[in-house]
Parts: sequence; C-alpha cells; structure tokens
Amino acid sequence: MLNYLDILDRAQTGPYISEENWDLEKIAMTTRRLVKKYKLEWNPNELVTDDAALSEAIWKAGYEMAVELGSYSRSTERIIQLSQDEIDSGIRNMPQEVVMGEGKDARTLYARHLNDERAPLFFGGSPGTPIPEKIFLANVISYMQEPLIDLATCGTLVEVDGREVRTGNPIEIVSTRRELQYMRQGLKRVGRAGMGMLAAQSSVSELGDLAAAHPDYLRSCDSHLVPMLNELKMDHRNISRAVNSLEYGMVNASLPCVIVGGLGGGPAGSAVINVASYLIANITCLADYHILHPIHVRHVATSTRDVLWVINATGQAFARHAPTIIVADIYPKSGAGTKELLYETAANAIVNAVSGNHLEGCGAADGNAPNCSGLEARLMAEVALASHRMKMSMKEANDFVLQLLPKYEHVFTQDGNPGKPFNEVYDTVKIEPLDFWQKMYEEVKTELKEMGLKL
Amino acid sequence: MPESTHLQAIATAIIDGEAEDAMEATKAALEDNVDPMEILNRGLMDAADEVGKRFERSEYFLPELMLTGRALKGAMEIVKPVLLEKYADNDSQVKGKVVSATVHTDIHDIGKNIVSSMLTAAGFEVTDMGVDVPIKSIIDKAEEIEARVICLSALLTTSMPFMKDLIQLLDARGIRQKYIVLVGGASVTESWAMHIGADGTARNAADAVKLARAKIGA
Repeated sequence: MLNYLDILDRAQTGPYISEENWDLEKIAMTTRRLVKKYKLEWNPNELVTDDAALSEAIWKAGYEMAVELGSYSRSTERIIQLSQDEIDSGIRNMPQEVVMGEGKDARTLYARHLNDERAPLFFGGSPGTPIPEKIFLANVISYMQEPLIDLATCGTLVEVDGREVRTGNPIEIVSTRRELQYMRQGLKRVGRAGMGMLAAQSSVSELGDLAAAHPDYLRSCDSHLVPMLNELKMDHRNISRAVNSLEYGMVNASLPCVIVGGLGGGPAGSAVINVASYLIANITCLADYHILHPIHVRHVATSTRDVLWVINATGQAFARHAPTIIVADIYPKSGAGTKELLYETAANAIVNAVSGNHLEGCGAADGNAPNCSGLEARLMAEVALASHRMKMSMKEANDFVLQLLPKYEHVFTQDGNPGKPFNEVYDTVKIEPLDFWQKMYEEVKTELKEMGLKL
Repeated sequence: MPESTHLQAIATAIIDGEAEDAMEATKAALEDNVDPMEILNRGLMDAADEVGKRFERSEYFLPELMLTGRALKGAMEIVKPVLLEKYADNDSQVKGKVVSATVHTDIHDIGKNIVSSMLTAAGFEVTDMGVDVPIKSIIDKAEEIEARVICLSALLTTSMPFMKDLIQLLDARGIRQKYIVLVGGASVTESWAMHIGADGTARNAADAVKLARAKIGA
C-alpha cells in the first residue's frame, strides 16, 4: 500500500504535463473513448436503473480510467502515476466500517451493498453553506436535535466578531475553531455530546484544518474533508489535510465534486470520472470514506435528472462491484420555506437510499445562502428510511422520482428559488419551525404518502 | 472553390474543435482571396456563436468549448495579420482584451474556464491567468497587455473579498476608470457585485459574454 511519502515523491518525479493538456488530452479524451468503448448512455427517464450490465460497464470504465491516468499534481504539474496493483490494493483496503463519534452517540458508518438489510445513516447540516455567526448555533442545533440524524455537519462561518473571513488569512484559524466551538456546544445542548461530526467546514484552505486538529475542536473520532480538484487532480495543500490526520487519527472524507457537463461531458462520462475519482482518492486522499457530490455545470443542484442519474450510477457501481463507504451530499436548488425544497430532497433521498449511499444534507439553495433548516433534513431521513423499509426496487424508486420531478423541475428554468433564511423559517430561540414551514412540510408528507411512500 | 464553401469548411472545423483543420481552411480561404472580414464574421464568429448555443442546450460540454477555443486561436493567428493589413484603421474586430483569473486563495477553475472559452469564442482576446492569482498580479497583467476588461472568479465565499480588494487597489492606483471589472462565481450575486463596486456579474457564461459585449460597446 502506498503511503503519503510515495505520493509526494511521485508528484515530484512523474511525467510533466500542462494542466490544459491534462484536462483536454487526458481527462476529456479518455472519457470520450471509454464512453464509446463501453457504449455508455444515460436515459433521462430512467434515472434509477436496474441495468446490471450498465453498472458493470461504468465500473470497468472508471477502473480503466484510474489505472490509465492516475492523478495530476497541480502543485508540480506532474502526473502521479499509479499502477493497477496499487489501484487494486487501494480497493482491497477501502474501509468497510468506520466508527464516528464516541460513547452512546457513536455510529458505525459502513460500506452499503445493494438491498442492504441495514439502514443508511444521516449527516444533518448544510455542508459548506455560508452562515452568519449570529444564527450559526441555532442553525446547527436545528439538525442535531432531530432524532433521526446520526452525525453532524455544518455550514461555513463567513464572519467572526463582525469581521469578514478570508481564505488563508489568520482569521480562518479563528473561524474554524469558532465553528467547532459552536458545534460542540450544540451537541451538548441537545444531549448528544458524543455525536460524530464532519466539520471544519470553515477551513477553506488547509490553514483552519491544521488549527482544528485538537480534542477541544475536531476530535480524532470526527471527520474532515480532503477535496480533490476537477478532475482527478490534487495539490500539496489538500494532501496536507490528509497528512494532518495521520498521527492524530481524524477520519478522512474524500471530496471529488465531478462537474456534470464539464470535462467528462454528459452524465455517462461524469459517472466514469466519479468512479475513477474514488479509486484515486483511496490513495491520494487517504480516504476512509467518500463524499458523493456531482455538481451540475449550470444548475449546481444534485436534483437535476442528469445528476440524479450520476448519483445512482456511481453508488451502484461501487455497491455492486466494490462496496465502499459513500456519503451523498444532497444539494437542492430550492431553499427553506419552499415546497420545491422538500420535493427535491425527497427525490435525492430515494435515489441515494436505493443506490448504496448514506446521506448528508441538505445544502439548500445550492448551498449559497443560509436558507436551510433541520426540517428538510428530517424529511431526508424519513424518506430514505421509508424507501429502505419498503425494500424499494430500482424500478419503484425510478417511478417515485419521475412523479416528483414535475413538482420541482421548473426551478431550473426560473431565476432560482432561494426561499428564506433560517431565521425566517424557524423560531431561533425555541429552535422549531415556524407554522407556515411546518405546514408545508406536513402537506408534502401527505402528498408523498398519497404517492405510495410508507412514511 | 466558392466563398461559401470556404466559410463552411472553416465553420465546420471550429464547431468540431479541429484546430489544424480550422487553420488549413483559413489559409485556403485567404489564398482564394476570400475577404478576411468575411472569414472572421461568417466563418469564425458565427461558428463560435453556434458552439455557445450548443453548450447552452447541453449538446456541447466543456471539452468542446475548450477545443473550439484552441481552433479559434489557431485560425485567428492566420487571419488577424491579413485583417489588420486590409483594415488598418479598424482593429475593433478583436472586441477587446480581457484578463481573467480565479482570485487569490481560490483554486476552482471550471466556471472561469467556461467564461474564458466563451469570451474567446465571442472574439475577445483573453489572457487566462489561472487560479489562486494575487490581485497585484492581475492588475499588473491588465496594465501590461492594455486590457479593457478584468474578469474575476471565485467559488469560495471567503475568497470573494479579494475581488473587493482588487477594485480598491485599482482605485488606490488611480486606474479604476480604465477597466471594466466583471465578477462571477457560484456565490457571487448582483448585490455583492454592486456592493464592491464591480461593473457587473452574470448568472452564466452566455450572459457573461453578453454583459462584456454590452459594457465594452461591442
């Protein structure tokens, strides 16, 4: 098994290639060739597919890409070459279980299989969303207090003590530590002090991450993000995040956000890159688990048809061929206080539940505004658990999603649907949904039940 | 060969993103005395517009945009000297020089790459400085190449303040009025752009091109 020193060595000595040529000649051209070779096509009306042959083809294409391309170091403009044996070793060593949190609140993340008897786990929070300091604590509590939420995540503090946070500025250290102080405080407030976290979200560069590796902030039983860059790229700053966890023991969550409609072209190519990304991230991100977060090139959201297809394709490819721990970010286009947010959340929850993924959410309003609350996370968990209890087939899941799409797809052709900020949908003292928001949630739940979902 | 056949060959090469074919077709058209202005407008720019439309319809993706950008660059290198010689007083065919960059501390480049490709395809001469670029370097480059437009990108909310810093530095240097500063990125809003004193923002790459054209009067 390679270690980080081998990765750094190869980033220094691998073949030189300009970044533009990596993007075009390696990523784009290889993707095109593999999509053609394996005859990969997506069907906008079959977003959740039980086509085992298609899943196998996507897996093989992603594997071939990982072996053929390896990774690219943006820091040194060199290719980090990886052999087939090393990719295989990475697959063999993918953790099948990771314990997060401690004491009675500990949860075991596990590699899900298709039709797994065990229910998915849920991270509650709006990952990476900019949240003003004055509502940060109330916002994270709104998720932590939800009984179905197993693990906590959060947004990003964009100002501390009235001062703007800038990436790489010393204030990033303060903001990351402040975020974690609020998180720990919130967990204590709801009586779940041992709950595991995916946090240090305010650490946009490696600076905050380094500053938070301390038992008072991010414990060794918590996880942090180790991002990959689009596509199949790393740099020394992000490798530093992974290396920072080595002796300390934090859990590494790889974050490759494949752009659907980007260098990989359409959904089929994007799924291939996503599969390859995890195989590379096993090694370069020292990943303990993987975040699934394809981004639509124009709409951002994970609830478009093509992104839902990529989520299903990627999750299935691993669940069928090499189960690993995958946690899917749910990023709806719509924001809190809108029914569309709840429909988008339900569609994402169904797709992920049947695709072998755990769930994290929701990054409402594209994660661009503090228009998010614990209520949509409650629905996310309820819908996913209902899908699991019903032993929903791929075909049934697809039928549900096709019924949900017409209820929200209009948000992609209008000027967004951002909804309202947290403090306008929740009572921030009692930390409970305002009546109109609670009523919307109840109405959507009724609709979902009428559609046949056993909530 | 008739002019229309030459122009069609150029357009096809641009739409297909074939740089060598585009250069060969441009050379052949010039050798057959096709007006360089016709090559530019009906061969290159119309084809580039078509590529932009296909991208908006999700028929084309980022690689196609980048390949078209390469093909356009190659063909422009051939046609531009002839064009300038024939229309010596009219250098407006290059709509303007643009410096684009993802600002200091931010390493996300997909959005910036798309806008750069679309601007190139629309006839702007784009100098793409890459990612994590210090604001001083961006301004120095704009001064060096006599750019008209500075396009700044940031995905990270905590990198967006560097856009404001750049505008303030332009002010401090007394050269703010020389530049049209456009800002963009997933978290950038119209109100943020106004707040920092930028000249505009756009929701997507196609709108960014329209905005740049409108601001520069092209």
